[in-house]
Amino acid sequence: MTRRAYAVLLLASLLISLSPVVAVADTDWRNLIREVEDQHTGRSSRSRMLMQVDAEHWQRRLEMVGWSLGRDYFLVRILEPVKERGVATLKADREVWNFLPKVDRVIKIPTSMMGGAWMGSHITNNDLVKESHIDEDYDFSLEEETDSYWRIVGIPKPNAAVIWGKIVYQIEKKRRVPQQVRYFDENLVPVRDIRFDKVRLVGERPIPLRMTVQPLDKTAERTVLEYLELAFDVPVERSFFSLRNLKSRRP
Amino acid sequence: MMLTLALRNLWRNRRRTLLTLSAMVVSVSLLILALGVFSGMIQDMLASATEQYRGHLVVSRSGYQDDHNLFATFHLSAELRQQIASDPQIVGLSPRLRAFGLLAHGLNTRPAELLGMAPSQERQVTRLQQLLVSGSYPAEGKSGALVGRGLASRLGVVPGDELVFVTQAADGSIGNDLLQVSGIFATGNSRQDNQLVLVSLPWLQELMVLPGQVHELALALHDPLLAGQAAARLDPLLPQGLDALAWGELLPEMQEAIASYDVTRLIMASILYFATGLGILNTLFMSVMERSREFGILMALGMSPWRIRGLVLLETLLMSVLALAVGLALGLAMTFYMARVGIDLSGTLSPITYAGGTILPRLHAVFVPANLVTPALLLLLVTLLAGWLPANRAAGLQPVTALRED
Repeated sequence: MTRRAYAVLLLASLLISLSPVVAVADTDWRNLIREVEDQHTGRSSRSRMLMQVDAEHWQRRLEMVGWSLGRDYFLVRILEPVKERGVATLKADREVWNFLPKVDRVIKIPTSMMGGAWMGSHITNNDLVKESHIDEDYDFSLEEETDSYWRIVGIPKPNAAVIWGKIVYQIEKKRRVPQQVRYFDENLVPVRDIRFDKVRLVGERPIPLRMTVQPLDKTAERTVLEYLELAFDVPVERSFFSLRNLKSRRP
Repeated sequence: MMLTLALRNLWRNRRRTLLTLSAMVVSVSLLILALGVFSGMIQDMLASATEQYRGHLVVSRSGYQDDHNLFATFHLSAELRQQIASDPQIVGLSPRLRAFGLLAHGLNTRPAELLGMAPSQERQVTRLQQLLVSGSYPAEGKSGALVGRGLASRLGVVPGDELVFVTQAADGSIGNDLLQVSGIFATGNSRQDNQLVLVSLPWLQELMVLPGQVHELALALHDPLLAGQAAARLDPLLPQGLDALAWGELLPEMQEAIASYDVTRLIMASILYFATGLGILNTLFMSVMERSREFGILMALGMSPWRIRGLVLLETLLMSVLALAVGLALGLAMTFYMARVGIDLSGTLSPITYAGGTILPRLHAVFVPANLVTPALLLLLVTLLAGWLPANRAAGLQPVTALRED
């Protein structure tokens, strides 16, 4: 190899590593969305969350602890308020189960109720299940690119069983974190926004620690979910996400 | 003199008179029976919609009956309750709270509608206690549940089994508690049998975090057909935001079905009597034609055409009065039998739900005065009409020509 070739290679690799724009020019958008959707779960995670719900008929403030493994398993347990302590949700594959300590029973959420609110928030049971499959059920394309962000549009694949008619992601280029996601119904009317902020480094990754779910038809309502603690790559086994463990009252 | 003459004329051709009479008797009595059974079906239908679920009259927040909004509750003060109960038409009051959620037994989970009620009061408004297939009506203030048959079989529960109810309570939390199946009912209405569960009102109020609140006050009336008037009387008594709705407003199709019954009754009677009337007309014509000579003699002797006409009409009238007496008695007897015993068709037919009510697979009659009066008056009218033409014919005879006949 000639010196000249070395110089070109060196220059090229420098360019690639220094400029994120060049680096992601050929990014497969699907991978980027997968990264965004999985940002809070990682390979495995443990978290403590605060959820503040402002709805027309109630205000709720829940403190919860959660574990996840990959994108298909997670378990969340309520710590506060005392009245609801121990109420837990298990997501395993595409099923959602609730544990109700008052009656000491585990209830599977049937398909007909998947559109219902999760813990009285603006997050539905469907969000818990389908959110993690968005990168599989939609096709993505770049709609707009500025110096600071990409705007990526997701359109459902033909025949995919999806809830949203269109999803628009606005993703910050530098840290590769989402700024806002807008969800459209099947008539392509925007119905809700999720905004992300409080970006902090968790391990090596910048992660937005706060997300705000804003239904667009009810501007006075919102759900704010904030991570008080978040750790990735924690030791947690597949067997942890079992109905038996869901029923155990350990926090 | 005319009466004797008319009676003798009828008696002269006994066979013909008896045949005509029997045609009239059969048509009157069968019509009465058919109308009685029809009324029975209508009553079953109305009762299934009101006395198995809604009540004849419901007081609730405006719009609640359309959307069943969980938050459209009110507090029923003792004073308001007293005021409503003082209406003479009202025979039962039951305050209720409604909740939709999931019922689970083991791994089976089903959506259900829970109706919180006080058993002693609910029994005055709905009659599910008469429709139990097993177990018993829930006891006062316990976490007992009266479950529809379809729902019970899907959940796989029998009386004594435990159920979990899960829903979103009014404060956004997950409302959940245990229930014990005390009984299973079957109304024949698939919606109620597959979805409805009666539970204790205080139990449901606590679970839903709606202390002291109700969604509706269901009322039973002495005469359900007067519900519209009772609603109009109650409305001014109610505080702002509360409405009294009669079953006719909750079930407009049923209202129309019942209103159209008056017309249906007339149409049924007219069709049947048209045939009967033609039969009578025929016999009377024959009888008048045969007696042309006789009428000629009477006229020759100085009887006026009006009296001849009167004579023929009197004969018809006598026949119809006789037929009515026998026909009404027979019709009443058959209706009475059908009201007491009836015919069970459940072996071959299943219940039909129509206009929000259920038509049970049985033939069962009820007594309604109009079902007797309408056929009776119509029969008189038809026979007099059928008698008028032959009577005119007789009155119009020329004595000389008539005498020459035969």
